[in-house]
Amino acid sequence: MKFNKLKRTIKISDNEETTQSKSSDSNESSQAELFVNHPEADKTIEKIKNHTGRINDLIFKKIPTDEGIVTVIYTRSLVEKMALQVMIFVPLANHINQIHQVSEKLETTNFPEILNRLISGQTLLYFHHTNMLLCIDTYSAPTRSITNTETESTVIGPQDAFTESLETNISLVKRRIQNPSLKNEARTIGTETNTKISILFIEGIVNKDNLDKINQRIDKLHYPAFSDISILKQLIEDNPLSPFPQYYMTVRPDSVTNYLLDGRIAIFMDNSQAAIVCPTTFLEMFISVEDYYNRWTTASLLRMLRFFGFFLTIMITPMYVSALTFHPEILPYELLLNLQESRSKVPFPPLIEVLFLELIIEVLREAGSRMPAKVGQTIGIVGGIVIGTAAVEAGLISNILVVLVATSALLSFLPPIFLMSNTSRFVRYIFILSAGLFGLYGQMLAFAWLISHLLNLNSLGTPFMSPVIPRKAADLMDSIIRFPIAFLKGKKGISNSKKK
Amino acid sequence: MSTNNRKILNGYHVIFLTQSTMIGTGILSLPQRLSSLGYSQAFVPLLFGVIASISLLPMIWISSQYKNDNLFTINEKLLGKPFGKSVNLFIVVHFTLFLAGIISNYMHLIQTTALSEQSSTIPVFFLLLLLIYIVSGGIKSIARFCTITFFLTIPMLYFLRWAIEKGELSHLLPLFNFNGSQFLDALKKGYISVLGYELIMFYFPYIINQKKALKHSLIGLWISIILCFITTLVSVIYYSEWQLKNIEYSVLHLFKAGEFTFIERIDIIGITFWIFLILSSAATYLWSAKKGIDSLRAKKKNYHTYLITLAIFLFVVIPYSREYQDKLFKLSYQISYIMLAWPLLLAVVHSLKKKQVKQ
Repeated sequence: MKFNKLKRTIKISDNEETTQSKSSDSNESSQAELFVNHPEADKTIEKIKNHTGRINDLIFKKIPTDEGIVTVIYTRSLVEKMALQVMIFVPLANHINQIHQVSEKLETTNFPEILNRLISGQTLLYFHHTNMLLCIDTYSAPTRSITNTETESTVIGPQDAFTESLETNISLVKRRIQNPSLKNEARTIGTETNTKISILFIEGIVNKDNLDKINQRIDKLHYPAFSDISILKQLIEDNPLSPFPQYYMTVRPDSVTNYLLDGRIAIFMDNSQAAIVCPTTFLEMFISVEDYYNRWTTASLLRMLRFFGFFLTIMITPMYVSALTFHPEILPYELLLNLQESRSKVPFPPLIEVLFLELIIEVLREAGSRMPAKVGQTIGIVGGIVIGTAAVEAGLISNILVVLVATSALLSFLPPIFLMSNTSRFVRYIFILSAGLFGLYGQMLAFAWLISHLLNLNSLGTPFMSPVIPRKAADLMDSIIRFPIAFLKGKKGISNSKKK
Repeated sequence: MSTNNRKILNGYHVIFLTQSTMIGTGILSLPQRLSSLGYSQAFVPLLFGVIASISLLPMIWISSQYKNDNLFTINEKLLGKPFGKSVNLFIVVHFTLFLAGIISNYMHLIQTTALSEQSSTIPVFFLLLLLIYIVSGGIKSIARFCTITFFLTIPMLYFLRWAIEKGELSHLLPLFNFNGSQFLDALKKGYISVLGYELIMFYFPYIINQKKALKHSLIGLWISIILCFITTLVSVIYYSEWQLKNIEYSVLHLFKAGEFTFIERIDIIGITFWIFLILSSAATYLWSAKKGIDSLRAKKKNYHTYLITLAIFLFVVIPYSREYQDKLFKLSYQISYIMLAWPLLLAVVHSLKKKQVKQ
């Protein structure tokens, strides 16, 4: 940028900008006056102003140029000053030809289109002499820079996470897969918000049926506003009523890259940090991308911990309820004595006791995530002490239960996908209640429900629990046990990829 | 009415549908039912396996003659509408009774071990609700449930370890120390435990690779037979002859042989976990019975499942005498044996009809 070559400088401080209906300036250059305004010129500007109505940050700025007076129209909140200076004002003043080369011509009477362009951050140039309307994309809304992920942090591996900007997110993926087959189809959804989304996939690897399915589902959407991609996710999921998330959601570009290379489809949305990956399986909800960076032995151990941790977290406290309410004979004499001793002061039946403590933990968790960080720590400690010691000493709960509930609360945070850990918490209540009703029988009934529900779920038409029996070697190699990297070349069964 | 032509069951589905439908509450009391043979019962399940494999042949044969029809439609086609329909109605009633038998048996067991202080009405209600939920997913979803049931329950075999350690291997010999009438008695009482494979006549039209259906169902059948064999073998090793005869659910007590420092009555966990096996076999029966009503009314309606379930609920819950209930269920067991021979009759009718057409 050669600012020093400017023949004329144009100050565009806010003070000088003419918002809405300020009339033309008196300091137009004599050169510009040589050009006669088109008879329609003033009317057109007036009409645009009328149509844009009460949009207050819309700027109309008249600038004398070599081709007569040009009115520059743009939305201040969507265009950075620097971009405006470089792309509009400097060329206008010096090389007006450049403007003609890079711009697009618009109909001066097509007001809906004009309005759309303006609210999507484009700048319009109206040439008074020729009654011509040009448009240049200057969208440069403020975005935050790429930072570490807070929800899916890992110790090893890349630390960058997606941001709320669609372009940044796509670039984070594209620089990892430098392959012309990586396609991104842009679409706009939301009847009110006109939100931009982008569907990423690798041609030749992705299954076309899957792609058609996702496109059809998005076509059918008639929803006014999408404030986050999770809303889109809930609308296009196979079973929106299920407590289980059926698509993977992540903020990690490396995770998305892995799935894209396996033949999955990723969807990004403007103004939303996470990306959806589909189709996915139940097992993949317990796979962290860090597993591929760790040694295979450690990774396998951690995966087993997460997977079985899910079943433990929904089983531990219900087990306490059913053992103490219905089947005390299940426990050996010494253990039962120990338990009864710790419960001797507790006035509640085990079901109420468990629900009470589980709810307190929920309250602590929820309060902790809403409170300002500085207050949160203190309250966390106070809450911990109140529950850990005082409640036991007061005889409200047994100390063995404190251990169990705390363990199961910790276990519920093991899945790398936060939605899954929320689900595990919800499912646990079903188990606790059924244990309270029928003891172990109720628990197993709930377990059978859970299994059959999971078996009935689909992710983009593919069974969510697949593979019940591994159909491909790749499914087996990258399941609960993560085989050494050299074995993990194949595409998984769920992708239905044509490429092996 | 022909059934839906969509082929959805692959080889694995057929294997585990056959396998899981066979294992239900029957296996729990198998050693007692075979007790007329004394210690020689250990190898009898293998004989059952041979009989089952042979009786499977006409079933597969008649089904493969009508690739897109289940037994209900075949009955109508071969026996004429009025007679065929009445046979179908009979089968539906039989299945309903049979299901009621399975569930009532299991609930009886649950009441004696796990829920001794509760009436069984509400637990049965929830069990049936879950059953409807599983069946509403269709045969494929049932097949997948059966598959997962197999993998979830197979680790229970580990608990037989202590029984083998504490038992007496010499019980196994002599091998065939029984006479014909004893064997027939055991066959009559015990064969019920391996029933379930005959349902292939109902889900056959949904199998993708029908040519290999025999192979797949044989694999499933023999997995179950081997499981039965292991149970009788371990029971013979662990129990005395008197115990075999007099302990009703002896297999359940095998679990008790295990010793843990942190758990005492492992059999309670075992029997509640057994619900998976009950659900997997009951779901297949319920699905078949629903197909029966579908064909009787020539309509596919979801409430057919609810109707059958309601009937089962009433059968199980209505407080008539246990003797009468047992009699009813026994009757339905005996009808099951007719079901095994039924394909033979159909095969004869089929070949007669073919000849007629040729002439």
